[in-house]
Amino acid sequence: MATVRIPTPLRTLTGGEDQVQAAGDTVKDVIENLEKNHPGIRERLLDDKGVRRFVNIYVGDEDIRFLDGLATALKATDEISIVPAIAGG
Amino acid sequence: MVEAGIGRLVLCDDDLVDETNLHRQILFSEADVGTDKLLAAERELYRLGARPGSIELVRSRFLPDNARDLARSVDVVLEGADNFATKFLCADACFLEGRPVVHGAAVRLRATVLCVAPSGAPCYRCLFEDLPSGRAAPNCAEAGVLGPIVGFAGALMADRALSVLLGDNRVFGNLVSFDGKTDRAREVTLSARPRCALCSAERNIESISYDRYTAASCAA
Repeated sequence: MATVRIPTPLRTLTGGEDQVQAAGDTVKDVIENLEKNHPGIRERLLDDKGVRRFVNIYVGDEDIRFLDGLATALKATDEISIVPAIAGG
Repeated sequence: MVEAGIGRLVLCDDDLVDETNLHRQILFSEADVGTDKLLAAERELYRLGARPGSIELVRSRFLPDNARDLARSVDVVLEGADNFATKFLCADACFLEGRPVVHGAAVRLRATVLCVAPSGAPCYRCLFEDLPSGRAAPNCAEAGVLGPIVGFAGALMADRALSVLLGDNRVFGNLVSFDGKTDRAREVTLSARPRCALCSAERNIESISYDRYTAASCAA
């Protein structure tokens, strides 16, 4: 099970949890499994072209764009971070 | 930055102080509510010790018409806009004028700070390609922000800007995300996006045009 760190704007979909566990051999698998437990999260992360352009997904400290994208393979100990764009202050 | 002895500070804004600003915009007090932000900020900065004549006020939004001139006029830009259009505009203007920029944002319990070199690679568009739109961009009123989170972002932005002014290039490409719920800061060094529209060899942004910066006003 990978640990997925949930940014504040998406915690409404995880019952307020800032991190959740999800199974999957790849980032895509993990997102699909997240969707089962937290409906709506997939749409916030992906569009028909892949990862939404104002969202970044990291495995550890590596941006998946520079790995294998959504096909990036995961280990059970991996931590996935979702970093959406924010504006304000 | 003023108390660090910075030589010249250019402030760009056209807003009035609102009561809802006070919990995070620490240059202002209740007596300033309803008054010009620039004048109130200038007054407080001089009280804090800014060198006489070192503050310049630009009573305007940061717009396509003035973006490149403003970027060109300084050694480093600190961008803390509350909307994505301005953030992307600032990124583009700074790259086109060869100026370093520190982007900062804070919404709810999260802050991010990104420091970008004059030549980008990586730049803000390497991180977030283009403006978001639609329901993925809830408005500011829905989002809210905790005062200390803004303080964290502001302090780190000042630190990065001073590093740039002192010639420390190690801060370029550095992205810090702070989560105020867990009190965890996460620091990564970004990689350039190979086909970035702004700073890659395949770039296609060569000028500033209004139509490129039309989007939702705020997002989280």
